[in-house]
Amino acid sequence: MLIENMKMAFSAIRINKMRSFLTMLGIIIGIGSVISIVSIGDTMRTMFADLYKEVGLTQAYISIGYWLDDVRQSDYFTLDDLERVKEVFGDEIAYIDSQSYVSADALYGRAKVKFDFQGIDYNYQDVQPVNIIYGRYLNEGDVKGRRKNVVMDVKSALQLFGVENAVGRTFRTTIYGSTDEYTVVGVYKKDLSPFQAMMMGQSDGGSAFIPYTLLTWPNDYFYAMRVYAKDDVNLDDFFGRLKVFIGRLKMRDAEDYYMATAVEEMGMMDSMMGGLSAAVGGIAAISLLVGGIGIMNIMLVSVTERTREIGIRKSLGARTKDIMIQFLTESALLSACGGMIGILLGSGLVSAVGAVLGVTAVVRPSVVLLAVGFSALVGIFFGMYPASKAAKKDPIEALRYE
Amino acid sequence: MKEEQLAEELICLEDMAKIYDTGALKVLGLKRVNLTIRRGEFVAIMGQSGSGKSTLMNILGCLDRPSLGHYYLDGVDVAGMSSDELSLIRNKKIGFVFQSFNLISRMSALKNVELPMTYARISRKAREERAEELLKRVGLGKRIHHQPNELSGGQRQRVAIARALANNPPLLLADEPTGNLDTAASLEIMELFTKLHAEGTTVVLVTHEEEIAAYTRRIIRFRDGEIISDQPNEPHRPGIAAQVEKNTDFMEGEG
Repeated sequence: MLIENMKMAFSAIRINKMRSFLTMLGIIIGIGSVISIVSIGDTMRTMFADLYKEVGLTQAYISIGYWLDDVRQSDYFTLDDLERVKEVFGDEIAYIDSQSYVSADALYGRAKVKFDFQGIDYNYQDVQPVNIIYGRYLNEGDVKGRRKNVVMDVKSALQLFGVENAVGRTFRTTIYGSTDEYTVVGVYKKDLSPFQAMMMGQSDGGSAFIPYTLLTWPNDYFYAMRVYAKDDVNLDDFFGRLKVFIGRLKMRDAEDYYMATAVEEMGMMDSMMGGLSAAVGGIAAISLLVGGIGIMNIMLVSVTERTREIGIRKSLGARTKDIMIQFLTESALLSACGGMIGILLGSGLVSAVGAVLGVTAVVRPSVVLLAVGFSALVGIFFGMYPASKAAKKDPIEALRYE
Repeated sequence: MKEEQLAEELICLEDMAKIYDTGALKVLGLKRVNLTIRRGEFVAIMGQSGSGKSTLMNILGCLDRPSLGHYYLDGVDVAGMSSDELSLIRNKKIGFVFQSFNLISRMSALKNVELPMTYARISRKAREERAEELLKRVGLGKRIHHQPNELSGGQRQRVAIARALANNPPLLLADEPTGNLDTAASLEIMELFTKLHAEGTTVVLVTHEEEIAAYTRRIIRFRDGEIISDQPNEPHRPGIAAQVEKNTDFMEGEG
């Protein structure tokens, strides 16, 4: 009986192909957008999670509160401050530096390339490993001795020197007003996905690591401090104690220091994405509602058109339930077909977006199932009224209908 | 004696009346009709339009309920039944043949014949077998997969008759079955009814044409919602049909 109903419903849908398609359109668009929004949101979230993992989830950034009016130079950090923190929290800290960046033009012969210099400690490899392909990484001597040595990205080396292996070459650059010769001691390579590159703000220019001890500003101070906790450390507890310690160290209220942790940031990003998905999802739901009303409308037309058929079926012994199920099957099928086309459309869109972002975007099977189920439900819900109208028809009246 | 009588009587109307309530006034469709039709009869119900014969047809077919009185079909009073119960009765006990054939246009002849069996929840295989057999019986064995619009009027009516026979109902109810057919096709259809009657089916025919009524064995005439005459009829029709009738006459005894 169910199979029979399905067959009948299919043939009814097939007879009015154009009309059926137009009716489905609302559902197609609704389901298509739900699928694509949810899946793109999913993909973005995974991408952000990966990105944060890449950047380091145990990371925190500390600086004097930007909201304060009475900031003094002594509120900034000195090398000694960093050393004190390292001493006190040595067991919990994986890495610490001053989170210093400087942009400056690197000059070599006639070549001039804008570089982003990142000040790092020698053990930065522990938390942000890169692949050294020529020469060596910065060492303790470079950092402690404030040597003007750099490790640069292979693409930048190619840009500036025209060779990949730039070890031993020197270039001139001006950092904080002082122009000096810098020597390349190593060349590294790092593969980033287009999305990561985009989010990490990789510029067209070069990028290189230099000892962070060279990037003190203002004067001999560092504006901020960046701490990577060890993986097994309780972050909330540790960062809390760290903040209190820094407050005491700098003779300030701990709350005068600003602290941002990667976990917090990721959570914010996550909830923002979630909110965005929910908002767009709501709009998609409205389009499903409109689609459902479209189905109800066309089913009402269909019921009227087929009044005589209903009369015939009743005269042959169809009960109220039989007619009801027949029309419900039809509207559910109509809606579910729309849902399936919508899924194809949405999946297509998702893979297109994935291709653009250079990631594999995945449509979760649970989302697909939910979408088909939901569209069928929309069909049943909005088919209910037309179907009951059909089922309640008086057989004599229906048979007389022309 | 009573039980025997019940077994004999397929249709029994007792003081049955039908009143149409149109709001402003009540119209009496049928006035206290008493009528008995036994199994195996071939009856014509005649009357002009407005005579109440269509109302009677609807009630006999369980499409409508009497306002007063009783209607025993196959020994069961259907007067107080719900619409779903009536559906069940129509499905099992009544085969309809309509003036305008009433086939479902987007279904093949076979599927149309299967329909009453579908509602009787008969398995697909059994349905197909029986539908094919029935179509063969009405002479359409080669056209089982044709759509109604690929068939002539006479052929469509034969599909409708095959469909009416699907659940092997005790009563075949035909409402002006030849009204939309030309003379040749009418003859064909009436021959088929005669044959079915000869095979033992109870046939009740509603018509206003004397030539059609002439095929039957009993003619009941209606006027203004009342029976005005109820007489046996000696069927007279040309050709082979008469022979079929002659051959089966002695088997049935008195007709």
